[in-house]
Amino acid sequence: MSREEPLLSADHESLTVLHELAQVLELGVLTVDRNLVVTSCNRWLSAALEAGGPELVGRPLLDAFPELRGGPAELALLGALAGSTTVWAHRFHRYFLPLPPRPPAGDGRFERMQQSAHIMPIVRHGEIDGVVVLLQDVTERVAREEQLRDALSRAEVASQAKSDFLASMSHELRTPLSAIIGFMDLLESEMVGPVQPLQKQYFGRVKLAAKHLVHIIEEILTFSRVEAGKEPLQPEMVDGVALTRSVVELFEPQAATKGLLVREGVPDTPVMLFTDPTKLRQILINIVGNAMKFTESGHVDVCVESHAERVTFSVRDTGPGMTDTDLERIFDPFTQLDQSLTRSKGGTGLGLPVSRKLAHLLGGDLIVSSVPGEGTTFTLWLPLVTSIEPALPASTLGLPLIN
Amino acid sequence: MTSRPVDHDALTELFNIGLHRAAAALSELTGQRIVVDLPRLWVCPIQETHLRLRELIEGELATVHQIFMGNIAGDAILVLEYENASRLAALLTHGDVGRDGRLDQSAREVLTEVGNVILSSCLSAFGDMLHVSVTFSVPRIHVESLEGMLRSIKVESNELQYTLLAATRFRLTEGEVGGYLMIAVGIASLELISEALADRDR
Repeated sequence: MSREEPLLSADHESLTVLHELAQVLELGVLTVDRNLVVTSCNRWLSAALEAGGPELVGRPLLDAFPELRGGPAELALLGALAGSTTVWAHRFHRYFLPLPPRPPAGDGRFERMQQSAHIMPIVRHGEIDGVVVLLQDVTERVAREEQLRDALSRAEVASQAKSDFLASMSHELRTPLSAIIGFMDLLESEMVGPVQPLQKQYFGRVKLAAKHLVHIIEEILTFSRVEAGKEPLQPEMVDGVALTRSVVELFEPQAATKGLLVREGVPDTPVMLFTDPTKLRQILINIVGNAMKFTESGHVDVCVESHAERVTFSVRDTGPGMTDTDLERIFDPFTQLDQSLTRSKGGTGLGLPVSRKLAHLLGGDLIVSSVPGEGTTFTLWLPLVTSIEPALPASTLGLPLIN
Repeated sequence: MTSRPVDHDALTELFNIGLHRAAAALSELTGQRIVVDLPRLWVCPIQETHLRLRELIEGELATVHQIFMGNIAGDAILVLEYENASRLAALLTHGDVGRDGRLDQSAREVLTEVGNVILSSCLSAFGDMLHVSVTFSVPRIHVESLEGMLRSIKVESNELQYTLLAATRFRLTEGEVGGYLMIAVGIASLELISEALADRDR
């Protein structure tokens, strides 16, 4: 639109074009003069009115539809005569003209055709000559959107229910397992009677299996708690170097058994950061454990680096590595790239998704890079902050600070 | 800038009058109490607007754009970050639309009507002050980048030179959302506004 031209010129030709165009687009077009007497009504609108509606052309609109009198529709029409353009969203005004539904509403939930509307002035020779109302039937679309919203809301409720179920179920499973392990210890210690060597061996296996089960349940529990937004943070000042060393020490026996070299690349001085040490430890155990699990020969490097605003912890291995397709899936829950590994290496496929979720919870991220045949590097970065808020998209915080 | 400097306080007051009208209209429309604040106002050349907005907002935007004509002419735009736009739509409709963070057709219609109310209320305040009538084009909602929005103003409008940029905050019972109101005018319109503001003070 050129800036000098009127909003809607009132010459016969342009109004005819509008009526024809509206017919194709299935819009209702109604024009009234300065006295709000209907001057034209397109075929679409006439057809919508045929189901018992009044004959419009030549009649004052407010006589044909007395319920518009004194309401927002009359205000919008008068506003247009004063030069304003008004749009009506059906969420605020279900309809402009009380028309029967088209097509008839299937479930009878809404007795009128729902409409969105534009009410605009018609300008002739620089003067406002009347008003044009464009009506769009949105009945079907609104119903579709509502169905979509309902489905989405049901899915959200179901997802929350699933997380709640997992959280409580995992707890219920863990409790009897603690009893099983405890009683196995008791039997093994021979406090309740002598145990034969073969029995002792079996007790050991039961205990090992039970501990493995506890570990899996712990992972599921953490995952569901983080997903349900119920994982509490207990941040404190932590030395990243000391914590990393303690994790590496945990894996030294396993490395020795496999003949792997574990190399530490950490600064000589402490790297202090304000974070939740349990969660940080959990992430490091997970990624170091993963490197140990999948590396058959070579070495695993564990490094800590301090930068201006962040601390990075990286674990590089000389394992089989991963392809780009594998990398895309690695943080998906319950995914282990080679399903046969689930049996040979153990694990739920939840370790990395949990670790990444925890990294996000700590305000950082866990990223991975890999070269097939050469190895994989997991890098965890955490912010060097003095307090922690769960990561929120900046946009949800609203307006940027303005003095 | 103009031959007469723009009286910043008077302009702020004028915007406040417009936003007060807009808030009243929105309150009536939605049946809930809505307050629209004006935390800050800038008058700057259009090139600077780009830089300033870049500092203030990021990501995809939802904008409601209306061209206005009359003795003063230009572009009026309500600018919201996408997430804030869907939050505002959700707040205004009690979660009826926009609740899932998406701007579907219904949410867009709601924002178009809201943008229309705000823009026309503010521009009517200008029109009343200048004793002229201002007519408006049909409001259009766009989901676009900041660059895209600025390009749309510059089209066929070499004479557009200044922007009145207002940071606004919509406060509703269940929360608040920040946004920006941008009125881009040519030097001639800005002169008229500036003169009228000065005359009003006398």
